[in-house]
Amino acid sequence: MTGSVDRTEQRLRSAYRMLLRSYPAHFRDLYALDMEETFVDQLRQARREGILALLLLLLTSTADTVTNGWHERLAPQPKGSAMFHWMDVRYAMRLLRRSPMFSLLTVMVLSGGLGLAIFTFSFLHTAILKPIPVSDGDRVVSIRQEVGTNSSPFDAVDIVAMRTGARTLTDVGVYTSRIFVLGDDTHPRVIDATVADWSMFAFTRARPALGRMFKHEDAERGAEPVIVLSQRLWRTAFGSDSGIVDRTILLNNVRTHVIGVMPTGYGFPVASEAWVPLANDVMSTSRFGENEFQVYGRLAPGVNAERAHAELRVLYKRARETDRANASGDVARKIGEQNIISDVAVETFPMAQVGEDGPLILTVLNILAGLILALACINVTNLLLARSNERVRETAVRLALGASRSRLVMQSMWESIILCVAGGAIATAIAAWGLDAINAWTKANLEGNMAFWWVWGLDQSAVIAAGLFVTATIAVLGVVVSGRATSLQFVAVLKDGSARSGSRREGRVVRTLVVTQVATVSVLMFFGVLAGIVAYRVANIDVGFDTRRVMTTVVGLEGDPYAKPELRATMWTNVQRMLSVAPAVNHVLLRRTIGALTDESGEFELKDQAVSDKTTKPRAYIQALEGDVSTLGVTLHSGRLFDSRDAQGGAPVVIVSQAFVDKYFAGVAPLGRQIKIARESAESSTDAPVAGQWRTVVGVTSNLVLGVPLSPTRSAIALFIPLPQLNPRDAEILYTHRGDEAAGQVALYNTLRTLDPKILPPDIRSYDDVLQKTSLIAISTAKLFAVCFAFALLLAVSGTYGLMARNIGQRTREIGVRRALGATDATVIRLLLGQGGRQLGIGVVISLPLMALVGLGFSKFFPIGALTALASALMVGTSIVAVVLLATWIPTRRAVAIELRDALWKE
Amino acid sequence: MTPSVVSPEAHPPLRPVEFEILLTLANGERHGYAILQEIAERSRGELQPETGTMYRALRRLVEGGLVRPAARKTAREDDDERRRYYAITALGARVATAEADRMARLVATARLARLLPHTGS
Repeated sequence: MTGSVDRTEQRLRSAYRMLLRSYPAHFRDLYALDMEETFVDQLRQARREGILALLLLLLTSTADTVTNGWHERLAPQPKGSAMFHWMDVRYAMRLLRRSPMFSLLTVMVLSGGLGLAIFTFSFLHTAILKPIPVSDGDRVVSIRQEVGTNSSPFDAVDIVAMRTGARTLTDVGVYTSRIFVLGDDTHPRVIDATVADWSMFAFTRARPALGRMFKHEDAERGAEPVIVLSQRLWRTAFGSDSGIVDRTILLNNVRTHVIGVMPTGYGFPVASEAWVPLANDVMSTSRFGENEFQVYGRLAPGVNAERAHAELRVLYKRARETDRANASGDVARKIGEQNIISDVAVETFPMAQVGEDGPLILTVLNILAGLILALACINVTNLLLARSNERVRETAVRLALGASRSRLVMQSMWESIILCVAGGAIATAIAAWGLDAINAWTKANLEGNMAFWWVWGLDQSAVIAAGLFVTATIAVLGVVVSGRATSLQFVAVLKDGSARSGSRREGRVVRTLVVTQVATVSVLMFFGVLAGIVAYRVANIDVGFDTRRVMTTVVGLEGDPYAKPELRATMWTNVQRMLSVAPAVNHVLLRRTIGALTDESGEFELKDQAVSDKTTKPRAYIQALEGDVSTLGVTLHSGRLFDSRDAQGGAPVVIVSQAFVDKYFAGVAPLGRQIKIARESAESSTDAPVAGQWRTVVGVTSNLVLGVPLSPTRSAIALFIPLPQLNPRDAEILYTHRGDEAAGQVALYNTLRTLDPKILPPDIRSYDDVLQKTSLIAISTAKLFAVCFAFALLLAVSGTYGLMARNIGQRTREIGVRRALGATDATVIRLLLGQGGRQLGIGVVISLPLMALVGLGFSKFFPIGALTALASALMVGTSIVAVVLLATWIPTRRAVAIELRDALWKE
Repeated sequence: MTPSVVSPEAHPPLRPVEFEILLTLANGERHGYAILQEIAERSRGELQPETGTMYRALRRLVEGGLVRPAARKTAREDDDERRRYYAITALGARVATAEADRMARLVATARLARLLPHTGS
């Protein structure tokens, strides 16, 4: 009976305690216990008086507590509450000063984790999310044509149609990048300039550093040619000559008037060395297929990108249908096919720059930074729990003396808050340093190749991010700390004299932390290993031939003048011959890829060789060549190379690689054998395939590895046909210079200008330059990742050891009891290793789906095969197993080494 | 806690429940339930403050330095449960006296105005 009475009282008491939460914390700290006691006295009296009195009491107490509680909450705060907080702050500071190692370690771990998180967020925010630094930057958008998965410029005719009908954009402008040769033939310099609407500078509301910007008259047909220089070109080509404005320079051998210099950092719409106005009548007089441009615009007030996209899509589709209706034959068919898969994209410039994968990259990298922060939090949680264990008796005594739990929670919270704020301040400084370092690095190594808005530094968003991360960390640590303070059973602690009260619950917390740590580290290490492999491969990229002094570009022969194949054949032959005799040039090779091993375009047939299954036709890389194959380091093994006999209309011939011979002509003489290429066409993939003809093998060359670099489908199995027998519309020109890269560039420009002044100068790249930059970026990114993951690994190793050591240390007495009852050291070690192994297993199982996700992501974007991913996963798994088992074994050994008597008395 | 007001004259007028608490504590230390009971008995059941009302009044009196929390002790010898006792401070006694004087003067004024009958000599 008594028991049931007590239970009722206990329940009602608990309910009343809950109701008392209506009062503010400072009030509860002082009076909640007294009120509860008073309520119990009233309750006992009411129960003696009968059920009605009891019901009345419950009703009035509920109403009274809620009403007065909220009155008290709304009442002005007592002066003392601020003083309590200040006392708590000073108390927490004293405690932290008393344990300098603990404070230092905690702040270091927190600053590392927070620093990485702040840095990653700020870096990606600037790269992708921040509005570009022009007036109304958040409303400035890039409008792109997307055909399938590729972005391409719009045809001028389509732009005119869209510009006329668009209501969701206030300004629409066009631009294109073009190569110019600056200076005369004795001191030429190739520059990458932007040809844009004259109003482009006014669109960005920019002001020049020197001179003036474009005016409407500058773009009139017949006006004097003008140019505006970028700060970088002004500095590097003209030595920052302040008298440059109004001077005349040679641009593509045309006298051009320098009218202004833009300020540092200006680079709209793309990184550019100079700006040239687009003639006003180009857009209105262009016919379909003549001119292509990129488009920028400003969203009308209140319009978002989605609405603009919806409108432009309709206008674009309508314009494309008109294009198709106005065209005929193959052109109309091509436009029709493209229309099915084409669309308009309206995005901010940063989003357009990073492409559709940008948000994914943003998410993945932020998740990684978040995971490292989580690791740091786990470590700090462990340290805080260890610390609260050390002070458990002190806390119990204070509870017994009447201190409220909320007050104790607040005191512990202040400790966490001080640590987090200190860690956050250092982390913000680290992030600011990292952002400045990235900025300096990109400026030193990538200037001229970067979007102009990529200027990193500690800006407002970085500071806000720092505040949010610190707040989130305080919240996470606060939950753990307050959980510990509220769960403490002080009677048990004081009776027992040890920290064992609540140890089962804490054991669960520690096990959860270990599992979380194992899962987090597994994912991070897996990511780190895969990133390292990718960086190594990119840094040591093998393009398949000796790239020293090799220059490359693609030239197109567009329009009516090259409608006839024989005209194209003559042009390609002339380009090859004229460039070959230029003094600055050594070897020249023209190349056009027409088939790849990876798809049907690479299919071929061998005469006199039965093909058992038509679905598995043999495939090879197929290229059309003209010129000197030694440009790519290829040598002749047998037979002959292409020569004047292999011109258009000559006998159909083919040269095969040694790898091809080894695979398909093993044991037989290859020369004189016949091969038919299934789809012998130099036109785009939308063209109907042209059936090939039987070609006679006239030569065998050394191997040249072809295919996309880093791709697993790279191979030296190749067929080469004479380029004059294909007469493609476009071809890659590969040539080696004799040591002067700039002179090599100018030699090609001069060749093209001599042969056809209407051909636009192409973008010529040096393999040395491209590979050096790629390698530099890969190595630098790898170093950055290495630092991050080394920190994560350090956190993981130290954290796992700390957690296991504390967990096992708390079980010293239990281990002693087991040993006293007859358990051998080996049994105890097996037991604890088994328990460590269970946590390890759970952690790994949790991490598996995440690791699979990381692996899939890598295989999608990088050349990481399933086998490499699996091997990396195994390596990571083995390392984690070793770390956790070692972290369990060391403290276990220590625990069993303690004298039995000491172990049994250990608190 | 530091008393916010040190002079009884400077203290704001007491609310009825506050005066009742001071009157109760003037007879000695009491715990919360005892205070409630005594107020109810003294007023013959006319005044029965709720627990919350009383503790909020106690909070104001403690902050004003008129009452102080005393040690926790058992209510009866045969009882294990310890209760928080409250005691009136010297300032509280002076403020209660001042309030009683004020009320006495009011009563005297009411008698002079014949709102109350004269009693005694």
